[in-house]
Amino acid sequence: MIVTQATDWFDERLGIAKFTRKSLNKIFPDHWSFMLGEIAMYSFVILLFTGVFLTLFFVPSSKDVIYNGAYAPLRGTKVSEAFASTLNISFSVRAGLVMRQMHHWAANVFIAAIVVHVCRVFFTGAFRKPREINWLVGTGLLVLAIVNGFLGYSLPDDLISGTGIRIAFSIVLSVPVVGSYLAFLLFGGNFPGNSIIPRFYSLHILIIPALIVGLLSAHLAIMWHQKHTQFKGKGKTDRNVVGVAMWPAYAFQAGGFFFVTAAVIAILGGLVQINPIWLYGQYVPYRVSYAVQPDWYMGWLDGALRLMPSWEIQAFGHMIPNVFFPAVLLPGITFTLLGAWPFIEKKITKDNLEHNLLDNPRDVPWRTSLGVGILAFYVVLFFASSTDVLANSFSLSLNFVLWAFRILLFVVPPAAAYIAYKLSVEASEVPGIGRRKRALIISRSEEGAFSTSESAPRSISHEEVIEELPEEVKYHNVLDGTEEYVMPSAVSAVSTVINNVSVDVDLGPLPSGGTGVYQIPRSPRGSAPNGRSNEQEQQGDLDD
Amino acid sequence: MSIFKRSAKARRASLLPIAVGTITVGAAFLAFAPTASYAQSNNPSALNNYGYTGSYIYGSNPQSNGHNVITNVNLNPSTIPFGKSLFVENCASCHGNEAQGSSRAPNLQGLGAATIDFWVSTGRMPLADPTVQAVQKPPRFTRSETLAIDAYVTSLASGGPAIPNVNLNLANEASGSELFATNCAACHTITGAGDALASGVYAPTLLSATPTQIAEAIRSGPGNMPRFGPNTLTNQQVADIAKYVTYLQKPTDQGGIALGHVGPVTEGFVGILVGLGLLMLAGLWIGGKAK
Repeated sequence: MIVTQATDWFDERLGIAKFTRKSLNKIFPDHWSFMLGEIAMYSFVILLFTGVFLTLFFVPSSKDVIYNGAYAPLRGTKVSEAFASTLNISFSVRAGLVMRQMHHWAANVFIAAIVVHVCRVFFTGAFRKPREINWLVGTGLLVLAIVNGFLGYSLPDDLISGTGIRIAFSIVLSVPVVGSYLAFLLFGGNFPGNSIIPRFYSLHILIIPALIVGLLSAHLAIMWHQKHTQFKGKGKTDRNVVGVAMWPAYAFQAGGFFFVTAAVIAILGGLVQINPIWLYGQYVPYRVSYAVQPDWYMGWLDGALRLMPSWEIQAFGHMIPNVFFPAVLLPGITFTLLGAWPFIEKKITKDNLEHNLLDNPRDVPWRTSLGVGILAFYVVLFFASSTDVLANSFSLSLNFVLWAFRILLFVVPPAAAYIAYKLSVEASEVPGIGRRKRALIISRSEEGAFSTSESAPRSISHEEVIEELPEEVKYHNVLDGTEEYVMPSAVSAVSTVINNVSVDVDLGPLPSGGTGVYQIPRSPRGSAPNGRSNEQEQQGDLDD
Repeated sequence: MSIFKRSAKARRASLLPIAVGTITVGAAFLAFAPTASYAQSNNPSALNNYGYTGSYIYGSNPQSNGHNVITNVNLNPSTIPFGKSLFVENCASCHGNEAQGSSRAPNLQGLGAATIDFWVSTGRMPLADPTVQAVQKPPRFTRSETLAIDAYVTSLASGGPAIPNVNLNLANEASGSELFATNCAACHTITGAGDALASGVYAPTLLSATPTQIAEAIRSGPGNMPRFGPNTLTNQQVADIAKYVTYLQKPTDQGGIALGHVGPVTEGFVGILVGLGLLMLAGLWIGGKAK
């Protein structure tokens, strides 16, 4: 009652009904691998919530104070305000430690989910035309997430993260020609200085999150506008979207998944310790702890630094610092190639068609094997960042482990790529691959003879569901001559074209679209028979 | 919005248990919440909001006069014959009857009781397997047998550090934490978990070392470890380190399951495999699958 009044009030002023109706009926293809990006997004929301809590108590200052708080073993020692306030969050602020740990676990899960999401998009070819822009936006998000993770990890000013900043400073210094200027600019003078913590704080809580929110919004808006890709299947084409409606099925699925994500992160934050900075102590430049690693998403860079031989390479009469190659050049090449991949692939395949249907990885063996090979390269680098821990855990010589990784770095990627290629080719030749296995029914006749038969398929195809659509949805299928553009799904407000005249047909509010599987047309970009209609459709979508 | 539509009576009926539950849980929380966690110091007047003060109190332990924080263990000369028999049985095949050393093992004369006691009491000697580094294992001898061996070897030549007996009550944990971070963490790691060094050498874990063994190791420098003499670390500082290492063996471990105290490596694996793994399983459960 009140809801109706309120929505009417807004509709009379903003005309939101049409937009809302359309949004609620938006169709989302349903596949578990499409939820990887959702994990990342929900982890980011949790990062924002827990992060805001932490800002209430964290003091971003390098000023020295004498710690006299709740953690007895460090009482009386000289620490920075940043470190002291992090100890305070951990020991004296109610729910402070669980918030800190949730924040840290959420960051680990956030970037892990992004990486797996990137893999899904890569291996299924979802980056192909028309989605190159979103791939670039996604690459930007990955870089920002990694950078912000590193900055946040550095804020407590503890011994281990301080060592990481020390390394970061050296990496910036190693850039030829501008390195020292750049390092002094970023760190406000020589290392360590007093500017690192406040500067990292502004970047970590303000500038980079704002950029992430902006890019994430763009990422989602473009996805919304272009409509999600879907796997090949019965009734699915490049020109339609088959899936469930936003309301209620998708909204509940996605909303529920947010709470699952929050629950898993809360469970980790509450039950598994992460970054016990009180055991690490304050960072002091002359102190160092062994077994220092960055968080996992920086591991491949740390591994590259460890594996790089101590070559001193001269160019133009100057020595290029050794650190430059693994720590500046490698990530530079990595992210450039990553971002440019859709364009590189287009050069290779000469494929300029629009693709809304996903590849199954096994159907494109060359891309799959290339991706697996490159991924294997970074996985080896990632494991190489724990050479010391592996050597200690397995009682091996550190030198042996280091050399083993140097060799593996060049052996594993081609081997993995070869295996991936063979498996893809083999798999695509298996009859019935990709279909759910049918149960084998063994029956015994009255005479005692056994016979086998396959059970009936478990799932029902979407055509059958469409036949079961609610009556009122069918009722609105009123426009003739445009059947392929107006579907029996719950689109209540339709912009369409009859005899070259654009017509807005407002069919009024509809009851919910139901929970079936729907099919709606996808407007082909740039290839519509009528330019005006296409433009309108796009504008409507942009408003979304 | 029909799914939200229910009768007013039903709504009232379902609100009541929620209200009762909320109030009960809230009251229980207020009654049992650990208010003590806010108490940060036994000197509350000196505290600001963040639980630290502007005054510098670190530097000396008011309880300690610095002289008796480490006392030397006196070895009983009457145990020397017993020690000799143990030594001849277990050590002499490599070190020689008079501990003078051989092509297989070093000369032990004049190394001091602390050195002998450390190697024997940590089980490193007798050596099980001549590898790069002697491995710590359960000691073969009882305490009194070990002391007898110490007495015998010490009786052969003078010199070297005596067995230190550390009075942890006079030691300062905070000073120990700083000294440990500066002098020990670079090899043993900041949590004392130990780690691999170059060429098969490793810094062993400190999680089973006794205060005496810690002090012995600092003073004698076993294996690849540097020796820290009295001019580098005072007795008070050695005791402080011993106290902090003893603390690290059972540290304040808030926050749940500690992942071996080896830093972000294990955390990364848990984050990816458990965190993302569980979420992907949940996604597989919720999301659509191949038909």
